[in-house]
Amino acid sequence: MGKFLVRRLLQIIPVLFIISFIVFCLVFVAGDPVALMLPEDASQEDIEQLRESLGLNEPFHIQYLTYMAGLFTLDFGESFRYNESALPIVLERLPATIELAIAAMVIAIVIAIPLGIWSATKQNSPVDLLATGGSVLWKAMPNFWLGIMLILLFSVTFGWFPVSGRGTFMHLILPAITLGTGIAAEMTRLIRSSMLEILNQDYIRTARSKGIRDFFVINKHAFRNALIPVVTITALQTSTVVGGTLITETVFSWPGLGQLLIQAVNTRDMAIVQASVFVIAFIVILMNLLADIIYKVLDPRIKYN
Amino acid sequence: MTTDTILEVKDLKTYFYTENGVIPSVDGVTFDIKKGETIAIVGESGSGKSVTSLSIMGLVGSPGKVAGGEILFEGKDITKISKREMRKLRGNEIAMIFQEPLTSLNPLFTVGNQISESIRLHQKASKEEAKKIAIEMLKKVGIPRAEKIYSSHPHLLSGGMRQRVMIAMALSCNPKLLIADEPTTALDVTIQAQILELMRNLSRENDTSIMLITHDLGVVAEMVDKVIVMYAGQVVEHTDVYTLFKDPKHPYTKGLLDSTPKIHELKEELQSIEGTVPPPGSIPVGCRFNTRCPYATEKCFSETPELTEVSPNHQVRCWLHEEGEVAI
Amino acid sequence: MAANPQTTTGTGPVATPISKSPSAFKRWFRLLLKSKTGTVGLIIVLTVILISIFAKQLAPHDPNQINPAMMLKPPVWMDGGSADYILGTDNLGRDILSRIIFGSQISLAVGISAVVLAGVIGVFVGLVAGYYGGIIDNILMRLVDSFLAIPTILFALVILSIFGPSVPTLIVVLGITNWVQYARLVRGEVLSIKEREFVKAAKSIGVRDNQIILRHLLPNVISPFIVISTLSVATTIILEASLSFLGLGIQPPTISWGGILSDGRDYIATSWWLATFPGLAITITVLGIIFLGDWLRDVLDPRANNGR
Repeated sequence: MGKFLVRRLLQIIPVLFIISFIVFCLVFVAGDPVALMLPEDASQEDIEQLRESLGLNEPFHIQYLTYMAGLFTLDFGESFRYNESALPIVLERLPATIELAIAAMVIAIVIAIPLGIWSATKQNSPVDLLATGGSVLWKAMPNFWLGIMLILLFSVTFGWFPVSGRGTFMHLILPAITLGTGIAAEMTRLIRSSMLEILNQDYIRTARSKGIRDFFVINKHAFRNALIPVVTITALQTSTVVGGTLITETVFSWPGLGQLLIQAVNTRDMAIVQASVFVIAFIVILMNLLADIIYKVLDPRIKYN
Repeated sequence: MTTDTILEVKDLKTYFYTENGVIPSVDGVTFDIKKGETIAIVGESGSGKSVTSLSIMGLVGSPGKVAGGEILFEGKDITKISKREMRKLRGNEIAMIFQEPLTSLNPLFTVGNQISESIRLHQKASKEEAKKIAIEMLKKVGIPRAEKIYSSHPHLLSGGMRQRVMIAMALSCNPKLLIADEPTTALDVTIQAQILELMRNLSRENDTSIMLITHDLGVVAEMVDKVIVMYAGQVVEHTDVYTLFKDPKHPYTKGLLDSTPKIHELKEELQSIEGTVPPPGSIPVGCRFNTRCPYATEKCFSETPELTEVSPNHQVRCWLHEEGEVAI
Repeated sequence: MAANPQTTTGTGPVATPISKSPSAFKRWFRLLLKSKTGTVGLIIVLTVILISIFAKQLAPHDPNQINPAMMLKPPVWMDGGSADYILGTDNLGRDILSRIIFGSQISLAVGISAVVLAGVIGVFVGLVAGYYGGIIDNILMRLVDSFLAIPTILFALVILSIFGPSVPTLIVVLGITNWVQYARLVRGEVLSIKEREFVKAAKSIGVRDNQIILRHLLPNVISPFIVISTLSVATTIILEASLSFLGLGIQPPTISWGGILSDGRDYIATSWWLATFPGLAITITVLGIIFLGDWLRDVLDPRANNGR
């Protein structure tokens, strides 16, 4: 297990290299941030001076080397909006995003696992129809609209929850439900189809032939097997979940990474954009690693090396 | 029937209720098994032999259902008892071994976990006791290094070893009836003989009755007392194993015997029966075998033969052998 | 195994359809009517297409006409509502219904063109990867993998932030985020066709095998292609709405559902109808496309039907 972890962690390095290169290219293509950084009446001389000081007159490879040198010291440059180093600003927003993501995952798991199992074992029952129908409906609904509708209903009409912002537990509920039910819809569908397949396996029949109660056949013998594809596919969807967080944060003015990134994109604050993309990519990679570990814990057939 | 009858199946009907209509997979099957006796149910794919065994286990899945008849286990009709009572029998009094050892064990749990699961369930044994019994069973079925195998996962074992584990699991609670559905089909020929011998020895030891389901009459010859030949959901011939090999009456049984290799008759070519079992949805009128029978007469296409006794303890469902008696 | 009901009857509606097929179209149509959700899906999709084509004739008002006297009027069934503005008006007095009707145009146009673009890119990459194999295949497939690791919306955000939001950029971005599944489909099919005996034989006597591959590829990929495309239109419409909602997609004065929603969000406390109706329009349209796509999958590509 230790060896496997080390190797898997080492694999992250080239991926981060590729991502940083892509980000650099994008920013290079994006061209001149100078115009945005200076007041509109700045003289040509001022512009030239700033360009020179930012190293923007250097050729591509020199700029790239400077950029990489910065990366090794975790320096993504300065945000011209905050006049501060970009990475600390991004990292400062991270806890809020993680809080939201964890709350959403908890909600998703609490909904999806029982619902997925139930609808698979009682095919075409009312619960199954509700689960499959709900999955399709949630897939068709834009997640940000669901958030707005929840605000409309529970904050504006009933006044139960605050409309936006972060702070108390009450602030967390609506954004977590928005994001969590969105994830749950896909997860329920996955668990259901995975369970349906597993329940037809020979070893389920063997378990039944031993006189084991249905409850244990389903929750011991079938569910653990069904979880394996669910973990794999959910890991592949981490990027979708991260994408959902970006939008949900905007809807609820949740002061996380997503809100910061979208503001940065709108103001073309490229240092922040770069740092955010890098941090997000890092998180996605870490989640995939985590999924790999869970996968190996779940399935004894996979060897550690 | 006397008290030493373990299982009595009477006019069993197991139907599948599909969107395309009712499909009678098992259609009026009657037989019995005595204590310590080994019987074989023989037939091709689609003959209804596996569904018969699943009916006895109470494991016919939706949309299938036991639609009629009785299954008496030690005199009690187990088609009428509650799920809970059935669970108490299953794995305990009646155990089953399946065809595919490779897929019949749960890949995520250790061999020991899966064997001791039913020991703990049915014998109310503690974890340690169950482990002891399980390792004992693993040794009995001839598994070397039983302690090590106990804590291994199934994917590390060969097919033959896994089938031994399945047998250990099935016999761990000393069942009165063991149903084995093609237990050796998926195994190498050399391993087949070992597994069959193992089953025979262990059942003799505990006086366990065996119901062996197979398509291979060669297997039957060596270890069974009685043979039931099934075709398209019905019993077509029912007799003891000697009579069956010496004097098979039903053309289908003859066909099956001709397609089994025999060591002492090297000269003959192996015959095979033309065609396949009609799917349960499109069973022909008259005798169900009429589409493939070389002796079929007009009568076979219009009237349905009954299972009749041609000599003591020898029943056949065929007009060829009923003529004389009907004429009386 | 004896009498396994799955093998004898489990072939489902595809293998046991209507006795004789008069024509493929008629047969499909009958199958469609058998599926309630498929029928509903087709009706919704056709309706939305018709609405977008005849938007000018159907819309009661000019969608961009500002009317300060009619600001934030509620829908007709509420107090203060007006029959002139069935779904109410927005903060500038523009008719919501008309705006939604016109909004369908951009949603469909962007959704469909992005999917077409994705299809072109994906088929090209898949053909190249499958045909040449080796190192080219390897590089292209790693590219596919890395595309799957980047959050679609993040990718779109960065590109749009660099090139600035415009309809062509949006179509290109959405197209680029979607091509991966086509590439995988076509590549897999090309690889399996290449392995077949007759292709090998043809190659050995010097026939150009790319023609054979193309000829055999089409019938094999057309069904999954249609299914993937249909469902991609649905996800693309949602993605476009999300980007427009974030202010990085369709820019005013072009009307998009996401844009109307974004305007309406600021008035959520007082005027619920601004944000509600465009969202409903998106949901119903996407639901229709999903229903249609699922039905198409059942009919065209029964192999892909997993437990539904």
